[in-house]
Amino acid sequence: MNSNFNTREPVYVQVIRYFKEQIAIGEIVAGEEIPSRRELAATLNINPNTAQKAYKEMEEQGLIHTERNFPSKITSDERILKSIRKELIFAAVESFVETIRPINVPIDELLQVVKEKYVNEGQEEETND
Amino acid sequence: MNRYLKLVNFELNRFRKIYVTLILLTLLSQIAAVLLLTKGYLNDAYETIKLENLTEKSYVLEYGGFDFTHITGSLLFLGPIALSAGALIFYIFLIWYRDWFGKNTFAYRLLMLPTSRVFVYLSKATAIFLMVLGLVAIQLMILPLENTIYEWMIPKTFLNYSMTIDSIINSNPLLRIIIPGTFSGFLINYGIGLMIMFILFAIILFERSYRIKGIIMGILYAAAVTAVFVTPLMAMGFEVIYLYPGELFGVLLILSILITGLTLWVSRWLIIKKITV
Amino acid sequence: MIEVKQISKKFGRKKILDGVSFTANKGEITCLIGINGVGKTTTLKAIMGLTPYSGDILIDNEKLTKHTYEKITFIPDAAIMLPQMTIKQAMEFMNDFYTVWNQDRADQMLEFFKLKLETRISELSKGNVAKVNLLMGLALDVDYILMDEPFSGIDMFSREQIADVFTSHLIEDRGVLITTHEISDIEHLIDKVVILDNGKVLKEFHTEDMRENEGKNVIDVMREVYRA
Repeated sequence: MNSNFNTREPVYVQVIRYFKEQIAIGEIVAGEEIPSRRELAATLNINPNTAQKAYKEMEEQGLIHTERNFPSKITSDERILKSIRKELIFAAVESFVETIRPINVPIDELLQVVKEKYVNEGQEEETND
Repeated sequence: MNRYLKLVNFELNRFRKIYVTLILLTLLSQIAAVLLLTKGYLNDAYETIKLENLTEKSYVLEYGGFDFTHITGSLLFLGPIALSAGALIFYIFLIWYRDWFGKNTFAYRLLMLPTSRVFVYLSKATAIFLMVLGLVAIQLMILPLENTIYEWMIPKTFLNYSMTIDSIINSNPLLRIIIPGTFSGFLINYGIGLMIMFILFAIILFERSYRIKGIIMGILYAAAVTAVFVTPLMAMGFEVIYLYPGELFGVLLILSILITGLTLWVSRWLIIKKITV
Repeated sequence: MIEVKQISKKFGRKKILDGVSFTANKGEITCLIGINGVGKTTTLKAIMGLTPYSGDILIDNEKLTKHTYEKITFIPDAAIMLPQMTIKQAMEFMNDFYTVWNQDRADQMLEFFKLKLETRISELSKGNVAKVNLLMGLALDVDYILMDEPFSGIDMFSREQIADVFTSHLIEDRGVLITTHEISDIEHLIDKVVILDNGKVLKEFHTEDMRENEGKNVIDVMREVYRA
C-alpha cells in the first residue's frame, strides 16, 4: 500500500477506497476493530491528519462507528456492507467504460475480450503467487 | 544563575585536558629548572675548585655565588609561564570559534539554551578568568616548594642569600606582573587584563555578527576605546595637564569602568540581536 | 502558530529573503520547499533568533525570548553537540539545561533508532547524526519543531526510520516546520507546502486541498508557479 498512492488524488479518498476493497474481499469483516489513526498513519506512511480525515468521512458514510472511549469498528449494517461491493464494481466498470468508449468496440467483442483477459490474468496471478 | 554556573562548569571542563597539561608542564619545567641549574652550577664550581685549587669561599669571592634569581631568570622557569599566558590568550579566541567551526556547530545549541545569552557570554569570560587565577595560584603554591628544594640542594657557602617568596617575586618582572605585591596592584593588573579580554570578546562578537565588515568594526571599536583610555597619559606626557599619581589613578579607574561597561553593553546587544550562526 | 510576517534579509547586496510571509500551525507538518540557496535555512534561523532580519516573527502571538526555547526547537542538518560527548553525555547536557526535557521519550527514541548510549558524537554516520539530532529535539516537550533538510544526504534505511517518526506518536500534536529540496519522498507525510524562490513565497497551500480541488500534486504546482 505504502507508495501506491496517487499523488494527484486526495489521500483520504484513497484510504477510504482501500478500506472498502478490504471489506469487499472479506479481509476486514463486519464489526471488526480498525487501527487508531496513529497506527493507520504509521502503517500506510501517511500524515496522521489525513488518516483522521478518512475516518471522519467513513464515519459520516456509516462505514465505521465509534462508541465513546472504544476503538472504532466496521459497521455491522448488512445493507451498507453490500452496497460497498456494488459501489466498487460500479466505479471500476464506469472508469473502464469511459476509457474504452472512444475506441468504439462492438459490445459482443468487448465482452469476449474482457472474459478472456479476466480469466487468463486471474490464473496467471494465482500461479505467480 | 544556576544555569550560569552550569555553563561555567561546562566551559571549564572543555579546556580541562589542555589546562592540566599546562599545569603539569609548568610544575615539571620549573622543578627541572631548579634541579638542573643548581646541579650545573655546583658541578662547574667543584670542577673549578679542583682545577684551580680553591676553597669554596674563595671560589664564591672570585666567581660569585648562586641564588634563586638565577632560577627565575631561566627559560625553563619563565617559559611555561609565557606558554600558559599565550595559551590562555589564544583560548580567548578559541573559546568562541570552536563553537562555530569544525564539523559540529555547537553554537546552535548554546544560543538556543533557554537562558539569557548574556550567561553564555559571561560563562566564557568567567571560565578564562578562573583559569588565569588558577594558574597564578598554582604558581604561588609551587614557588615555596621550589625554593625549599633549591635551598636544600645548595650548600650554604655557595648561597648568596636566602630569599623570601616576596623577594623572589619582586626580583622578577614577569612574576611581578602576574603576582602583584599589593591589593591595589592586583586590581590594576587584573582589571586591565579583564578589560582587554572583554574588548577582544567584543571584536570576536562583531566578527561573528558582521563577518569581514565586523572585523573592521571591532578593530575600530578597540582603537577608539584604547585612545580614550590613553588620553590622560598622553595629555600628561605632552604636559597639557598635570595630575598627581592619585588623581591619575582615579581618572584611569573611572575610564576603565566606563569602557568595560560600554563594551559589555555592546557585546550584550551583539550576542542577543545580531549574532549569526 | 508560527507567523512569519514580511521578513527580509540581505547578505551584502544580495537579498536572501524579500518580504517572506507564511504561517505554520500546531498539529500540522508544514514544508518549506525550494531549490538550494533560496533562503529556507535562513528562514528557520530567523525564526530561532540565530540571525538578524527585518520584519516580524510571532510564535503563539509572542516575539522570541529566552523562554521561547522551551516552546520551540530547531534541528539543523549537522551535529550540534560536542564531538567528544557520548550520546549519554549529550542527553545529560540537555536534561541539565531544559526543564522540558522528557527522559522517557528520549529513551523511547533511543530504542526506536537503535542507538547506543556510549557512542561518541564524532563516531556517528551522517544518518545517525540526523537521528541523534532528532532525538535531542523531539525529547523536548516543545510545541514546535523546525527541521532543516531532515531527509537529505542520508542512507535509505535512516530515511525510512525518520519518516516513521513523522507518522508516530513521537510528533504528537506538535507543529512541525521542515525544509526540503526533494518533495517526492515525503509528499504524503506533510499537511502544508510553502514554495520559496528568490527570497519570496510563491505559493502556500494544503496538499490534500490541492489534490481535492485541483487534482494536482506538489510537483505540478511547483512547475506552474516557477513558470509563471
